[in-house]
Amino acid sequence: MNDIFEFKRFGLLFKKTIAERYVQLIGITGLALAATLVIYSAVLYFTGGMGRNLAQNLSFVYGIIGGGCFLGSVIFGYFNTNASGAAYLTLPVSAFEKWFCGMLIIGVLFPSLFLVFYRLIDSCFVLFYHNGLNKNDPRYKDMYDAVQVYDFNNNFAKQCVMIYANFASAMMLGSLYFNKVSAVKTALVYGCVLGLLYILNLTIANMLFHNVDGTFPFSAVFIKVGNDVGILGLPDAIANLVLLAIQFIIPGILFLTVFIRLREKEI
Amino acid sequence: MIEFKNLSFGYTSKKLLYKNLSLTIEGGCIYGLLGKNGAGKSTLLKNMVGTLFPLEGEITINGKNPKKRQPSFLQTIYYIPEDVFVPSLTIKQYKNLFAPFYPEFDEANFYNYLSELDVSVDGKLNKLSFGQQKKFVIAFALACNTKVLLMDEPTNGLDIPSKTQFRKLIASIMYDDRIIFISTHQVRDLENMIDNVIIVDNGDLLLHSSIVNIGNKLCFKTITEIPANAKVLYKEQMLKGATVVMENINREDSKLNLEHLFTGVTENPALTKEIFSAN
Repeated sequence: MNDIFEFKRFGLLFKKTIAERYVQLIGITGLALAATLVIYSAVLYFTGGMGRNLAQNLSFVYGIIGGGCFLGSVIFGYFNTNASGAAYLTLPVSAFEKWFCGMLIIGVLFPSLFLVFYRLIDSCFVLFYHNGLNKNDPRYKDMYDAVQVYDFNNNFAKQCVMIYANFASAMMLGSLYFNKVSAVKTALVYGCVLGLLYILNLTIANMLFHNVDGTFPFSAVFIKVGNDVGILGLPDAIANLVLLAIQFIIPGILFLTVFIRLREKEI
Repeated sequence: MIEFKNLSFGYTSKKLLYKNLSLTIEGGCIYGLLGKNGAGKSTLLKNMVGTLFPLEGEITINGKNPKKRQPSFLQTIYYIPEDVFVPSLTIKQYKNLFAPFYPEFDEANFYNYLSELDVSVDGKLNKLSFGQQKKFVIAFALACNTKVLLMDEPTNGLDIPSKTQFRKLIASIMYDDRIIFISTHQVRDLENMIDNVIIVDNGDLLLHSSIVNIGNKLCFKTITEIPANAKVLYKEQMLKGATVVMENINREDSKLNLEHLFTGVTENPALTKEIFSAN
């Protein structure tokens, strides 16, 4: 018997995970998708149809990050009682299979489902908008071109996915450290870490400059120049390194730590 | 076989619950692990199943280290914690999802055990009473046919007929190399069921002996006068004399009283050691 990975065993675990906790897993996913639709519709409604780009961006960011965070916090949320924690840890599957099952849901299934759903509702809204335009209007072409189906390759969407990877991995890890209300506790820790980074960056910037307007936690200092505010960014090479860390290295380390923690979890 | 080699465990390294515990548990026996509340019974079981890790020393169960929680090990051991967990599933759904993880699972026996324990098979498991949930988990654990079965306070929450049925079931599922380990502070529930007794208190192993050996070493009886120089482990004054547990010098046959044994051993650990170390 292979004690690390077996397809049959993994299949049983995956089936058990979904069937045993369908209310949480499917419920949160459904809620995230519903929230996406509601936000999209609400922004369109309150802006009188003018804020289509805002509707696309807002619904995308809240849907994927919000849903991902909640899902990440429940994926290993078996440890709120000793009994369910013990039942999970003593289930005859390897720590790798348990970790891989969580990764499959958080890293592949939820994002894929979200993107398909998002594309579907976005296409419907855009199609509805295009069909509602007056083809005889002289501004028809400009108005038609102004609203297009959301491009998943745009910078905003990429940043959302980057934040999703960071937050969801942190939530998964948090649920293995905090047995009760892990989502709130992890969010507090994450917020504190970001706050500390911000204060550290601001303190260092204030030591170096007299006219600091503000700082961004990792990579930028805003300097007052007369009535304007200028951005002092990192040198390109270092900025790329920071970006690389946020995009891949930090989530990678967090996901790896989830596996290590899962192996060493005691209850 | 289960082997503890110099096991040390504590929830903090400064205050150890077990220190250098060495113990060998042979197959084919039902062990009763007795101790007061907070004596470390559950902790010992958790170390055995791998949900807690020893600080020093090691445990091996049939040659496997529980700490690694390998599937090949976990499918040979079933642990029933004091508070059981059942998901929001029907019995059939539960069986379909969980039984395939245990290759020796016997479906016919499972339904038979459910029937014997009088578990209602309708509706979702999480809607059942605590006692019914516990009986369901016991039935499932027994049907898994694992070589090692660890039970933490299994009779808590069971009504009197269920306790009787539980004892019958346990006796019926025993086979040659199986180890059944039952931890409890309700010592009467184990009477006539176990064939080995382990008593722990404050992390110390006070007694590890077979029932036969206890019968050879100790005598349980009611007497009017305690003989001079008798080594008395336990004494309780009654209307018609005193109930005692004392050294069995004259090779008398007597009926084991686990409650008296437990109290005697925990109150007189030094005398227990003296009696049981003598040939």
